[in-house]
Amino acid sequence: MRATISIGFAVLLAAGAAWLWAAPPPAAAVPQLQLASAPVTGFAKAYAPRSFQLPLDNGPHADFQTEWWYYTGNLQDAAGRHFGYQLTFFRRGLTPGAAPPRTSGFATNQIYFAHFAITDVAGDKHHFAERFSRGAADLAGASGAPYQVWLEDWRADSLNADGTRLQLHAKEGDFALDLTLETRKPIVAHGNSGLSPKSAEAGNASYYLSYTRMDTAGTITLNGAASAVAGTSWFDHEWSTSALGPKAVGWDWFSLQLDDEREIMFFQMRRADGTLEPVSGGTLVAADGSTRRLAAADVQLSVADTWRSAATGATYPAAWRVVIPSAQLDLRVQPWLAQQEMLVSFAYWEGAVQVSGTSAGQAITGNGYVELTGYAGSLQGQF
Amino acid sequence: MLTRTLLLTGVRDMQRRPAQLVPMLLGVALGVDVVVALDLANTSASRGFALSAETIVGRATHQIRGNSGVVPEGIYRQLRTELGLRAAAPVISGTVLAPDLDGQPLRIMGIDPSAEAPFRNFLGTGGALPVDFTGFYTQPNSVVVPIGLAQRYGLTPGGQLRLLANDREVRVNVWAVLDPGTDGLRRALDGMLLMDVSTAQELLGMQGSLSYVDLIAAQPELLLLQKWLPATVRLAPATEQTKTIGNLADAFQLNLSALSLLALVVGMFLIYNTVMFSVVQRRAVLGTLRALGATGQQLFALVMLEAAVISAVGAAAGVGLGWVLGQSAVRLVTQTINDLYYVSTVRDAPLAAFTVAKGVLLGIGASLFAAALPAYEAARVAPVTAMRRSSLEDRVRGQIPLLSLIGALLIGCGAGVLFGVPTSLVAGFAGMFMIVLGAALLVPGTTLLLMHVAGFALGRIVGTLGRMAARSVSKSLSRTAVAIAALMVAVSVTLAVSIMTRSFRDTVINWLELTLSADLFITAPVIGTTGPASTLSAAVLPSVRAVPGVQSVETIRATTAFSQFGEVRLAVFDARMQRDRRVYRFEAGTPEQIWDAVQAGSVLVSEPFAYRHALPRTGASVTLHTDHGEQTFPVAAVVYDYASDQGVVFMARAVYDQYWDDRGVTSLAVSVAPGYTPDGVAASLRTALAGSALSVVSNRALREQALLVFDRTFAITDALRVLAVLVAFIGVLSALMALQLERTRELATMQAVGLGRAQLNGLALMETGLMGAAAGLFSLPTGYVLSYVLIYVINLRSFGWTIQMQVPALPFAQALLLSILAALLAAVYPLWRQHHMPVAAGLRQE
Repeated sequence: MRATISIGFAVLLAAGAAWLWAAPPPAAAVPQLQLASAPVTGFAKAYAPRSFQLPLDNGPHADFQTEWWYYTGNLQDAAGRHFGYQLTFFRRGLTPGAAPPRTSGFATNQIYFAHFAITDVAGDKHHFAERFSRGAADLAGASGAPYQVWLEDWRADSLNADGTRLQLHAKEGDFALDLTLETRKPIVAHGNSGLSPKSAEAGNASYYLSYTRMDTAGTITLNGAASAVAGTSWFDHEWSTSALGPKAVGWDWFSLQLDDEREIMFFQMRRADGTLEPVSGGTLVAADGSTRRLAAADVQLSVADTWRSAATGATYPAAWRVVIPSAQLDLRVQPWLAQQEMLVSFAYWEGAVQVSGTSAGQAITGNGYVELTGYAGSLQGQF
Repeated sequence: MLTRTLLLTGVRDMQRRPAQLVPMLLGVALGVDVVVALDLANTSASRGFALSAETIVGRATHQIRGNSGVVPEGIYRQLRTELGLRAAAPVISGTVLAPDLDGQPLRIMGIDPSAEAPFRNFLGTGGALPVDFTGFYTQPNSVVVPIGLAQRYGLTPGGQLRLLANDREVRVNVWAVLDPGTDGLRRALDGMLLMDVSTAQELLGMQGSLSYVDLIAAQPELLLLQKWLPATVRLAPATEQTKTIGNLADAFQLNLSALSLLALVVGMFLIYNTVMFSVVQRRAVLGTLRALGATGQQLFALVMLEAAVISAVGAAAGVGLGWVLGQSAVRLVTQTINDLYYVSTVRDAPLAAFTVAKGVLLGIGASLFAAALPAYEAARVAPVTAMRRSSLEDRVRGQIPLLSLIGALLIGCGAGVLFGVPTSLVAGFAGMFMIVLGAALLVPGTTLLLMHVAGFALGRIVGTLGRMAARSVSKSLSRTAVAIAALMVAVSVTLAVSIMTRSFRDTVINWLELTLSADLFITAPVIGTTGPASTLSAAVLPSVRAVPGVQSVETIRATTAFSQFGEVRLAVFDARMQRDRRVYRFEAGTPEQIWDAVQAGSVLVSEPFAYRHALPRTGASVTLHTDHGEQTFPVAAVVYDYASDQGVVFMARAVYDQYWDDRGVTSLAVSVAPGYTPDGVAASLRTALAGSALSVVSNRALREQALLVFDRTFAITDALRVLAVLVAFIGVLSALMALQLERTRELATMQAVGLGRAQLNGLALMETGLMGAAAGLFSLPTGYVLSYVLIYVINLRSFGWTIQMQVPALPFAQALLLSILAALLAAVYPLWRQHHMPVAAGLRQE
């Protein structure tokens, strides 16, 4: 699902987004580049389901244009203080496949960028940062065996052969995390055996794998104070070339971990006319790791509250009622903190949420992560 | 204070003799013009450098630089991935030649866009441009061309550009044309090709290395870095490089400024001359005005006002002329700076308000200064006296002893300043100016003396007319002396500069013969100005050795190192061939002993190096940052070297290899085996090196190249010299013409009493010829003294070079001839006029 955001970033990046990050230059200096460039073609597209080989398929797929590795999670320290975290690595292929051999170690056809955030609920603070790098000279890169993804000193490194146990490390200014993750469930292939369509058009799809429940322990450091934390993480790995429907303006994406050991992934793509892409949907993961695909009609999603960002002026949904009749679930999803907007190259909201409600009439709780895009300006309008 | 009537007399007077305004206008205009043109060239060169340096440095506070000129790229990776330093950017910089763009050198700047944000903003801003950077990263040899360069040469995106980089010819692709958005940036980036760091590494053969790493670092990071950085690199303030390079051309530019000032001084003589003449001519009118009730103050003001108005017009014209001339001057100066110091990427020359103000103020100021004395004179004298010219001449004659005394004192003071303040270049120029002024003040007295002798001699040879000619020069001394002095100053400066240039050139030729002992030289087309110069590929040396007829190959590495004196040039040579003993300036033993010392780890330094850093004659040493830490090298000897005015440290290859990891070679010196001709071997070498951009140059051709650069360096000096002569020539012309015109009636009287045409011509030509000869004669000793000062004071203090002074007879003869010719020419128009005017009309003049 997050293919679309990745596309958004990729376009921005290609537009020299790295410079956006700088302090604003004097208004007078507006560099103009005139160039003759042809659109790059030749990237593979996701047309059909395929088999996956792990841990190799945890690594990069250079035939596809975009790819990301997404870690989110909800953690608590011994005193019960709640934290959310996000560490995401994006890859953008400039040309398909492996780069032709060149003599410079800096030569590459891969660009990486990454987002890192920590939500400190008690401190009422959302810390976030963004980085860019070329995928060369060991500055950034990814591999499947051994599984690792890194951008400078933000890293995910596997601790065992199959990549089911790994270490996350990231530090930016006065916030940092150092976590060990181990999956408790087998890999989940979303959509049609891992082929996740994003619109009705064939090839507008991604390959989408997840570890939906990873036991997590380690430390979170804020302003120099380290806290030992433990909790649960969610890992998404998705790669694609074309994954944006022509009418989509944004999407809402949910990853919910219920305390009865079930997980729900659900996304809906919003169109400009207010309707949803019919391919919207998700996956319900049972306690034993078995999965059931959720169609758009299987999930009733209603917004219960909104929040207006002072920074962007965007109004985001800020509480939902999620009803899945076929699973007898009636859930209320609510952010741990309203202000979890990522003010990076492209503003979006990504935050830790708490879940409460009923499952077959019994009270149930949980945690999760929600991603909301296209609220601070339409994606299609922008690009 | 000035009444309308008085002003009107002034205006009317100007209207009555417009022709006489011309010399003054020209004098001011030319004087101002030279100052403006040179100021333009100088400021544009240095500002251009500062601008491009600032632009390139961006917001960096520090840089990591390598002791052998490059930084291993792994250090950059470690900074980011291990130390977590975020404000760090890799930079590759270098120079290439663009044969299709008039062979101009272009700066290379290789950057990593994703690391640039904190430092520079060349390629984009807040508004996301719909630009796809794929080609920039992934297409080999993709470059960004600045818009100015693109427009001048019709380069468009998608096109190609041929470059000579190191020893290769490379076709690069114009990926984009960049308009950086502001005039300042446009100027700063104009001779620079921007590209990805990977492309720059490949273009310059710097795989695995960076030129430097830009940093924004505060105290905590700096402390961390100082502890962490390996010995092969060092942490330097970002401005260090700029400062080092910026200082390089200072002496050169100061010399140019001094020369332009000299031109203005000559211009001042001219102004003085014309204002004086205008006053003298109007003494009768002024006397009448006084008699009618005008006060002395009013007359003073009137004369000064006239001078101010005329000089303002002249100065304005001079600024315009200077701007035009300045464009050529900018080219000449930029060329020299490119040849000798650094590749300036800035080409156009905007006229700064300061330059205009300086030119106008100097022009008007000099005019008012020059007019003050005649104006004072006009205001002071009693009306009756004012109406008689003889009173003025009497006064001038009365002042001759005083003037001569002041002149002698000035010369003495000048000499005192020259030698009393041993190292100051400014003092050197001040002393030189004093001597020039002193010599000029001696002119009236010596002229009188000379004319006395000349009158006697000519009287014997030509008779009465000869005596008359000499007498008429002495009689109008108030004007003739000034004209002679102006001509003398111009000619002696010309003479001095020409002796200095000749001596310098001969010295360099001698030195080239001593040092260029090999038969053939193999070099890359680009002469590196800073950092390690172009490196030959590893394959070159073996293929050169394999060419039949190559007896031996000596390698040379030109690079830079960081020393206790800052960045210095380091020349590393094989040290197999011993140097000629004549290259040693100060020896600490026999050449054999020196050679042993060099092979054992001592270094040689060039003369400018020793001079600049005030090294003691014995026991000096140079401490260099090597790849294995700081190392102190004793100086075995000082050698003559004219390749760099910054100074060079020479080191044996074996010693260099011991302390540095760099194994690069910049050029090769090939000796041809007996039985082979250098031309034949050169041809084989060219065949062997076909496909590379390397040039195989014979000993002779290299010498010619060196002299070409030498001559180019002095082109601007020559241009100035010609200009100074031109100013003086116009001055003399106008003064003499005025003198002759003034004598119309006198000459008509002579014609009336029977003087023939030929006799009249003879008289006039003798008069001006005498003046020219006087100026020429005075210029000989003055020129000699000035050339001595230029060679042993100015040049030494500017560059530290020893020049063997040569005193050939030819320039002296030329100087004399030039003076006389200029003076004779001045008589032509008045004579023509005289001949075409009826005698009766001439008699009615005045």
